[in-house]
Amino acid sequence: MAAARRLKRVVASQPGFLNFKSSSESLSGRRKRVNKNKKKSWNKHSDINDVEEFLEDVRLQERTTGGLLAEKSDDSLFFLDVGQPKRAERKAEPIEGKKRKGKTPRPLRIDLILQQDSLIPAPKDVLAYQQPNAKKLRRISQKAEQLAAKGVVTRRQKRLLSRRPVTKEAKKSDTEANNNPNRDYYDIWGQEQSTVKDSAEDWYLQQTGKKRVKRPEKLSDRPSVLPAVEVIAPGGSYNPDFFSHQALLKEAHEVEVKKQKEEDKLERQLAVNKDDTATEETVIREQVEGLVEEEEEEDEEEAAHDEEDEDAEGGSSLAKKKTERQRKREKADKIKELRRLDSKRQMDHRQQLFQLRSIKASIKQQEQSTEDKQKIRKANQEAEKSQPRRLGKLKFQAQDLEVQLSDELAGSLRQLKPEGSVLKDRFKSLQKRNLIEPRERAKFKRRHKLKYVEKRAFRAIT
Amino acid sequence: MGGLQKKKYERGSVTNYITRNKARKKLRLSLPDFRRLCILKGIYPHEPKHKKKVNKGSTAPRTFYLIKDIRFLLHEPIVGKFRDYKVFVRKLKKAYGKTEWSAVERLRENKPTYKLDHIIKERYPSFIDALRDIDDALCMCFLFSTFARTGKCHVQTIQLCRRLTVEWMNYVVAARALRKVFISIKGIYYQAEVMGQLITWLVPYQFSHDHPTDVDYRVMATFTELYTTLLGFINFRLYHSLNLLYPPKLDSKAECELKEENEEDYALNSECYLEKLSALSASLARMVSSAEEEEAQLDQFPVEGEDMEKLEAREREQKEQEAQKKLFDGLKFFLNREVPRESLAFIIRCFGGEVSWDKSVCIGSTYEVTEETITHHIVDRPNASTQYINRYYIQPQWVYDCINAKIVLPVEDYFLGVTLPPHLSPFVEEKEGDYMPPEKVKIMALQRGEKPAQEQEDEEEEDEDEDEEEEEDDNDDEEEDEEEDEEESEEKNLKKMEKQRSQGKSLQVKVTPGKMKVENPERLEQEEKAEEKRLAIMMMKKKEKYLYDKIMFGKKRKIREANKLTAKRKAHDDAEKANKKKTRK
Repeated sequence: MAAARRLKRVVASQPGFLNFKSSSESLSGRRKRVNKNKKKSWNKHSDINDVEEFLEDVRLQERTTGGLLAEKSDDSLFFLDVGQPKRAERKAEPIEGKKRKGKTPRPLRIDLILQQDSLIPAPKDVLAYQQPNAKKLRRISQKAEQLAAKGVVTRRQKRLLSRRPVTKEAKKSDTEANNNPNRDYYDIWGQEQSTVKDSAEDWYLQQTGKKRVKRPEKLSDRPSVLPAVEVIAPGGSYNPDFFSHQALLKEAHEVEVKKQKEEDKLERQLAVNKDDTATEETVIREQVEGLVEEEEEEDEEEAAHDEEDEDAEGGSSLAKKKTERQRKREKADKIKELRRLDSKRQMDHRQQLFQLRSIKASIKQQEQSTEDKQKIRKANQEAEKSQPRRLGKLKFQAQDLEVQLSDELAGSLRQLKPEGSVLKDRFKSLQKRNLIEPRERAKFKRRHKLKYVEKRAFRAIT
Repeated sequence: MGGLQKKKYERGSVTNYITRNKARKKLRLSLPDFRRLCILKGIYPHEPKHKKKVNKGSTAPRTFYLIKDIRFLLHEPIVGKFRDYKVFVRKLKKAYGKTEWSAVERLRENKPTYKLDHIIKERYPSFIDALRDIDDALCMCFLFSTFARTGKCHVQTIQLCRRLTVEWMNYVVAARALRKVFISIKGIYYQAEVMGQLITWLVPYQFSHDHPTDVDYRVMATFTELYTTLLGFINFRLYHSLNLLYPPKLDSKAECELKEENEEDYALNSECYLEKLSALSASLARMVSSAEEEEAQLDQFPVEGEDMEKLEAREREQKEQEAQKKLFDGLKFFLNREVPRESLAFIIRCFGGEVSWDKSVCIGSTYEVTEETITHHIVDRPNASTQYINRYYIQPQWVYDCINAKIVLPVEDYFLGVTLPPHLSPFVEEKEGDYMPPEKVKIMALQRGEKPAQEQEDEEEEDEDEDEEEEEDDNDDEEEDEEEDEEESEEKNLKKMEKQRSQGKSLQVKVTPGKMKVENPERLEQEEKAEEKRLAIMMMKKKEKYLYDKIMFGKKRKIREANKLTAKRKAHDDAEKANKKKTRK
């Protein structure tokens, strides 16, 4: 308010003031009488439009020209029009162009937009420069300076100086994360000799339980003989030879065919068997079951019954008791039979002497066959070493072969579109080498069922 | 019968195994922690031979571990750290819940962490052990270093991986250890020879990640945690083996050259140095700056027989390698902005070439396009706008093919806009008699030092080459045939003479002037050898002979198949040529 009033005064003092907008408003009609004895009503009923308009005008002038137009000198407002200075301009432009090409690049459009276009400088933010307790701090620092000039050391300073320096750095390296990008390395394989010779220390560590347990030798064996990095087939080149590319395509095709076959098989097995479904005929027969008498079947059933009865009788007749005589005879027969077999065996033994050659041959054959089997088994074992093992619930599933079809191949390195993901390749390689077990991503299980509720506002519309 | 009753499943293989869940309970760890521990310590699940026995009669699929392994895990100090971490998380949660911020801060400061150094030492007792297992580590680090920093894994891990891979690449450049490169559709395969170990790794293309959903990131991150530690220690050792400073420092001279006034445009101050290192354009600082490498001559020991041959072969190989290391010496490359900068800069520097690129592409460019001494300008566009007359404009595949062929290939096939010859895999090693694509045959001819004259003649020569090979293969058989023929003809002559005699006719006696029998020593030698071989075959036992015939048959079959494939290829090429001609008309 104070500023407005002051400006009003300024206006009064300047009769030749130029307005941007001419105020054509004039008071008409009778003035309404209002009490202006209270500040509130005064504010309410006094008309300050003219003042505000005027102020707006002043602000506009200041923003656009940097001051009031009336205060400007004539030279800054007008210039003498003497036609167009053609040559000078033409010369001036190319110089500018050259400059642009050379060093200073054209500012970005976004920067131009964001630039301040008002000519009034922004007000200084006082708070940004203020310091809490500035006076006190200044006084303290002045006093400290004075004391320092005199050479006096305060008690406080003494205490600070006498305090032990905190070894914070050592602690920091202790709690430093393992993946700190600036971590330092040292020669880990270099200090072997120095540690070994100190046997006393060794004993101490062993007794205090601080010695590391020796790693079992067997752990250094690799679980698979496969190499860490399997290089892709030559057909996987970005610009492959025709035949190797075809070979790779064929391989991929075979894999795909195999998959398709399995799928088809599953589909076939799952398909509905037509023989199992009920036809009209069978349905009717089922409905009529028992209503129509069929004599033939009954006859057959009876016949089956008879046979069974006979069998049962035969079984009971076998369990008759033997007579004494029969027993003796059987025993004699048995002894006789045993003797016969024994003599036969002895005879055979004697005869074997003449069969030596054939026996030898048969033994040789047997040995040969076992050897062959051993070989095969060993080869299988070797082959198994490079196979992924079954380590968990899931079987290892090889990754899809990376293949680009003939029309996908890029003509040059620039247009190459990478196929597959190296991350997945590495992951599968780890699985293939039995370093980790194949797993599935854990499925998200909802504990409670979702409940859908319409909001009231939504229901009101529909 | 006396004695206690034997209980089932208390002896035998069941005592050697433990299920995962039991092991987890024994260690008092949660499943993720258990999994992490197993990965870090290198303990893997086992498949028992008789699952039903081990599983106490049940056939349910389970994961088994060896009980001794788990017992070994019980001694691991990291287990305690894992438990501490669990407690830490619980406390932190509580403090958050109570909004006790000072407690949160205090807890954060004392967050339990662990080191894997002792595990590395334990798992890889010697440096060579570690070097043998580095393939995985490299693949993983290169993979993680290309990840976007979008929260799939810790940003710090990505940064560490980047640092380690840059260090590794700088080492390979300094040691000139690279051997093979293969650009596949998956990524780029590199193979280097470090201290006699062949190390293969796969680098994914930049910006090619769509994160697959069926990969367990936690497991991968654990592996990476281990491998970053391993790779760091290996890098340290490797740098010291070459007398290089570790952590790597740029050569002071190179550093001055790379100093630019507007470095801030490229990277933050903290990352600037790593970026400069990763540009690979400057050499590294050595510990002893004036240590000129003296080529130590190998001691020669007198050897005999087969060892001699082996030694010679080894020497030849070594010479070849030396030559390969200096493949690009003295060549100056300039990379256009559309070619993969890092890969090309890496391999060119590995073989002694100088390389630069446009200033706006990356930090660390050493010279401009306008430099007069540039010999090769690598462009991957159909045409270049402004061409300088004293340099070759070639496609990037040339560099890769040169490395695989171990010679500087002729540039004609790789000019701009020319259809490139196929990029063959250097990881395929053909045995004798296998089918070889004609491009490979051509490269091999070049390696032997034969020069193809012109394009047209080229193809003919190819054919000749193939023919020659076939001839070589068939040589033995032919010689045998020839000798038999000669014998037969002699016999015939004799028979004729006898007939004439028996008929009582006077022989037609005629004296012809004698001819000097020209003895070709090479031919003689060959004949002798063939004769020896024939005799040896004749002297073979029946069993051996059978085996020999089998082998020969297999060889011939292989050759036949290879011939078939070459014929097919020729037919294919001819058809294509015909097509081209048609289209031209």
